[in-house]
Parts: sequence; C-alpha cells; structure tokens
Amino acid sequence: MAVLRKTPEMVSIPNSFCPGCGHGILNRLIAEVIEENGYEKKTILTLGVGCSCNMNGSWKGDKIQTAHGRGASTAMGVKVARPDLLSIAYQGDGDAYVIGLAETINAAYRNENITVFVVNNNNFGMTGGQMSWTTMPDQKTTTSVHGRDTNWTGMPIKVPEMIATMPNVAYVARGSVQSPKEIRKLRKYVKNAIEAQLNNEGYSLVEVLAPCPTNWGMPVDKALAWMDQEVSSYYTLGELKERKGE
Amino acid sequence: MKKMWKGNHAIGEAAMRAGCQFYAGYPITPQTEVGEYLSWRMPELGRTFLQAENEMSAMYMIFGAYACGMRSMTSSSGPGFSLKQEGISYMCANNYPAVLVNVQRWGPGLGTLDSSQTDYLRDTRCGGNGDCRVIVLTPNSIQETIDLIYIAFDLAEKYRNPVEILSEAALGQMMEAVEFPEFKERTEDLGWTWDGTDRDHGRLANPDKPGATKAKYERIEANEQRYETYQVEDADYVFVAFGLPSRTAKNAVDILRAQGEKVGLIRPITVWPFPYKAFAEVNKDVKGFISVESTDAGQLIEDVALAAKKLRFNVPVYGQFTNQHIPKAKEVVKFYEQVKAGQIKEVF
Amino acid sequence: MELVFAGFGGQGVLTSGMIVAEMALEEGKTVTWMPTYGPAMRGGKAYSVVKYTDGVIGGPDIEESDVLVAMNGPSLEYAAYLKEGGTLIINSDEVADDLTVEGNFNIVRVPCMELAMKANNPKAANIVAIGALIKKCGLFDADLARKVLKQIFVNKGKEKFTAANEEAFNAGFDYVQ
Repeated sequence: MAVLRKTPEMVSIPNSFCPGCGHGILNRLIAEVIEENGYEKKTILTLGVGCSCNMNGSWKGDKIQTAHGRGASTAMGVKVARPDLLSIAYQGDGDAYVIGLAETINAAYRNENITVFVVNNNNFGMTGGQMSWTTMPDQKTTTSVHGRDTNWTGMPIKVPEMIATMPNVAYVARGSVQSPKEIRKLRKYVKNAIEAQLNNEGYSLVEVLAPCPTNWGMPVDKALAWMDQEVSSYYTLGELKERKGE
Repeated sequence: MKKMWKGNHAIGEAAMRAGCQFYAGYPITPQTEVGEYLSWRMPELGRTFLQAENEMSAMYMIFGAYACGMRSMTSSSGPGFSLKQEGISYMCANNYPAVLVNVQRWGPGLGTLDSSQTDYLRDTRCGGNGDCRVIVLTPNSIQETIDLIYIAFDLAEKYRNPVEILSEAALGQMMEAVEFPEFKERTEDLGWTWDGTDRDHGRLANPDKPGATKAKYERIEANEQRYETYQVEDADYVFVAFGLPSRTAKNAVDILRAQGEKVGLIRPITVWPFPYKAFAEVNKDVKGFISVESTDAGQLIEDVALAAKKLRFNVPVYGQFTNQHIPKAKEVVKFYEQVKAGQIKEVF
Repeated sequence: MELVFAGFGGQGVLTSGMIVAEMALEEGKTVTWMPTYGPAMRGGKAYSVVKYTDGVIGGPDIEESDVLVAMNGPSLEYAAYLKEGGTLIINSDEVADDLTVEGNFNIVRVPCMELAMKANNPKAANIVAIGALIKKCGLFDADLARKVLKQIFVNKGKEKFTAANEEAFNAGFDYVQ
C-alpha cells in the first residue's frame, strides 16, 4: 500500500539539482531518517565540493562547506568537538574517492564515529562531466571523449569494498536510486548508517549510485536503464558490512 | 621556579594552559616534539590528540572542531605548513579562529632542517588563495613562545581569524628556563559556532559584502601591532629583526653603542599586522634601516621598505641575509661597519 | 659563558650540555641549551651548546666559545670557534695524543672512557668529562655540581644511577690537577 510521506522540513523543494539528478532523493531520505530520530536541530552536515555544494541553498539544517576532498576530516573534527551531535559528511565520488581518497580511507581506517554518504554518479558533475575514478569502462566524459580507457586510467574504484575489509568499521553499504525498489532498500541503509553513529558503533559509509542525465547526455529513462544494466552490475548493491548485533 | 624546557615541548604545554582541547598534526622535523609531547599530555588532561594521515587532513579536523567552538591547534614546518595553506584560506573565508604553529626550517621544497626564517613572505601574506591574512606572532624566546600561545586563542576568537605562531627550528629545539601561566578555559558560547541549530555563522568572504574583509583587517592592524623598540630615538641606523636574529641584533646594538655608534633595533613581534607604529618612534634623521634575517634572498626587508615608505623616511634599506644560520652578533656588527663605510649597496 | 660539547651520537654530548645547563640554572643564571637535531643526530656527529650569563643571551648556537669538550677527533673542528685562551677538554681515549690543535688554548687531555670503566660506569664518559671541566674551569662549586647531577637523574626516575654517576664525576674531577 502506498504511503504518503510528508516532505521533511530539512529539504526544500525546489532544489537546485538538475532534472533527473539522484541527489534530491538521497537528500530526502537522509532528512527523513534525521527527523525520525529527532535530530533536526542536532545534526551538522559537512558538504564536500561538487554538486553537494548545491545543498548550501537547499539543505535547511546546519551545514559546513568544507574543501574538496576533506569531508571526512572535517566531519571528524565536528564529532570531536560535539560528540552529542550527528556528524555527517555528504560528498560525491570525485570528492570522496578521487581528491579525497586519503581522507576518506583514513577516517574509516581510524573508525571515526561519523557517517559518510557518497553519491556516485560516475563523473565529476559540477565541473561539467569529467572522468572520475568511478567512471565506467568505455564511458564517454569530457576528459575521456573516446570512452574510458581502463588500460591507461585504471578500472572503476570500489571504495566501499575496500573499507568493508577494515576490521572495526560499523557499517558499509551501497544503494541506488535507480528504482522505487532500490530506493526502499537505500532508505534502510541510510537508517542503519545514521543509527550506527547515534549508537556510537563507529564509522559508517553508504555509497549511492545516482543518475546524472545532464552529463551522461541521456534522457532519464535511458540513464536509469544504463544504471540497471551496466553500473549496478559492476557496483554490486547491498550491505557490504552489516552492523554487529543486527 | 623556572625550569628548563625544550621549545617544542613548551609549545604543547602552553597550548594546554591556554585551554586547547584538540590537536591534530603530522610528524615533520623540527617540530615533531610538539605532537610527541601532546600525544601523552592531552589524554592525561582528558583532551584529544590525533596523529593525522597528512597535513591537510589535520587542518580540516581543526577546521571542523573550531567550527563548533573547540579550542584547537595544529603545527608543522616548511613543506608541511605549505600543505596547510588551503585550509588556512578556508578558515579565513569562514571567519574561523584557529591556532597554527610553524617551526620554520630552511628553504624551498624539502629544504634542510636548519634554523631559518624563509617562510616569512608566505606566512605574512597568507599562502592560500583569495584575500586573506593571518595574525602572525613571532616569539624570540621560549618564554615568549609560551606567552604568545597563551594569548593566541583569545586573539583568534576575538577577531575570528587564524593566528599563527611563527617559530624557528633552533627555537623549537633549544631549551631555556621558563614559567608557565595558570590553566585557563573559555566556557562561554562564541555565539556564531555550529551547534546543529543552523544559527547565523557570519561567514566573512562574501561578494555581496564588499569591504567586510578590509574592515576586519584594518581593525586588527589598528589594535594588534606588537613590537619592541630599542634605542631607536637617536639612532643613525636601525636594525629590524624578529625571532632569534633579533636577539643577536640586540647584542650587536649593545656592542656598537659601547663603541659610540648610534644604532637601534626594531623587533616586530607581530609580522602581520606589521608594526608600522614602531617606525614612528625612530629618529626623524635616521640614515638607514638594516633588515637582519635568516633568509637567502631577503623577505622581511620588503616590509621594512614598505614601513619606511609609509612613515616617509626617504633613506636606504639594507639587508643582511644569513641564509640557513642565525646571524651572529659579530657578523651583524661587521655588516653595520660595511654599511657605514658605504661598502654595501642598499636593496631599497 | 659559551660551552660546546661535541662527539659521536651516542656519546651523550646532548646530555652533557643539559647537565651543565641545569647547574648554571641552579646558580641563578640565564641559560640556553641548543642541540643538534634531525638526521645530524643519527649521522654520527652531534653537539650541544650551552650559554649562560647574568644578563640576556643572544643566539643559542655556537658563536664564540669559552669551552669545547671534544669527545672524539672530528669534534676538534669546533675549536675554530674557540676563543683565544679558551679551554679545550679532549677525550684522549678517542683522540690521538699527537693530534694537535692550532690556537692558543688551555688543553686538558682526559681518558674519559678509561676513567668511566674504572668507576664501573662505562657509559658515563660524558660525566667524567664534566667532572674534569668543573675542576679545570671552576665553573661551579663542586658540591653544587654533584647535587644537580644527582637531582637530574632522580627527576628522570633513574635514582639507581646516582652513586655511579657521582663516582664518574669524581673520577674526572680528581684526574685534573
């Protein structure tokens, strides 16, 4: 049975993401879980650089705009100062997995009690669609105009899989906004990630596959179909590290 | 009673006395002892020490913590401090306080571990992008290092601006007898910090607020020029030196005065804001200024020349650049004698 | 007063300087101690500089020394900074007797390692040298020096070495006529 949910106070409509972008859905899911837990006034969101910057205008909760790649470090500093608050880093794949790979991995390595959301749309969206470490083989971007040559540029990186091997981290999952079914699953991942932090279980990461119709040069339906057929078959969906005792 | 303390250890303890609750940093000679000391001292006091994966990450940990109002500090040297410049710029943009310590080592790139002042221009101009300035305090003794760190957090929060302690390798490594002030703690809410409620954080850099940055810096320039002058009122020549070279330059003044030479010394304690006020105390008939510094190409001398220009002294400005060593008193005396004999060409 | 303690890394020349700095502090002097640091420490060559005065001290590094304690041959290069008439204490166990130093110095050769062995404290050649230094230059009252030496090791939680260290100090002190 369909349930009509009230739009969370923390997200505003309209937002400034492109039509068909996946960010808005994740924004809403995060906001819903924060509000369910009563943390609307007890959350600090650290925004990475990229399309996450759009949330400076549309995210109604407290937020810090940090530098490119330094989301996890900043969120960690927030948590040191205010362990009573929910500290979330909200980043894109270019931010967290390319320029900020060291910071992302090291925060997980130390098992910081923070939550990191990474929107993986397989390219640098804000700068107009350049190749990212998550760009698919043969995918065309403005810096891989003939399609990504993985012999030269490497295979798409799987950071959640790397982090899931670390012994202490609390929770790692990869979800997608490609279909209502996946969105429902993703909501559970978001909830687990946030609740892991609120229970002081340690580091949690959710990577979210998201369409970028603007930069992929596809209409939304084709973008979603490509995600279904190509992206999510490489980037396996599901929980990579479950919470202890769940 | 005074006790012998190593400069770098004293930096750590002074920060503790000043109420620093969080330190993040990365090892680099010659400042590593700061982190080593704090790694056991902070847990002992119930505070947080973290060895970060790199300089930038350490910087943004501080950035996140001070956003929430927690007194936080990082330290580094040479190339490590270069990596922090991005973060300094972000802190300036957000109107953040922070306390940063640079125990300078010599040279560009990897450089050497020698004591020097070769980061002067970068640090006084702020090496990060944009229009930013950092309040830069330059101690010349371990006691003064302690005293300046003790006020650095207050200054940083008063102006919502990063404050840097610009030290030198030798000052970090040497020991002197010192006393520490009492522990203090700032408990009141700063009013603008991040607390989850999305209150007004008063960001500074904003193209819609023209002049806001300038107004803030003018306020700092008006209030915070710190310096020491020594026998400048009747001086024919005035040395300008900060940090360790200021100590040997002062010795040189005493030696030369005993020989009947009219020389004096300006010792900037803040190098940004640069202490123009000190130059107003100088003999109106002064014949020249001599910048004495541990640099290779001359850096402080640019500010000395600007100060001379601002105070309308139309006199030559000379530079004694001793590169990777602290100028010895005798060397300063000799340089002066050469200046006086017309054997040295002015730089400005 | 400017004193330089030089030798191989591991000969305790940083500690020597620190001990003498503490003695000067006990006398109410203004003091600086400056070590070699970084790779220089591990590369073999090490020195520390102690300066003390009743007034203020300029630079902490070597400028014009009153005393050089040379624990090995290469350390004699610092004699270049020694004042005319300055004191040069040479560890004769490491420096050949026929090695000459140019300049007008008061040279004392002390078999620091041999004396340390005799005092059953083979690691304390540096303390033997301090004993010799105090006797030769009369920098501090011998009892004040012994008191400070003891206190330093007590403060470090190394009480068990205090007697052996004092013996090493005395061996150097008594060696110098």
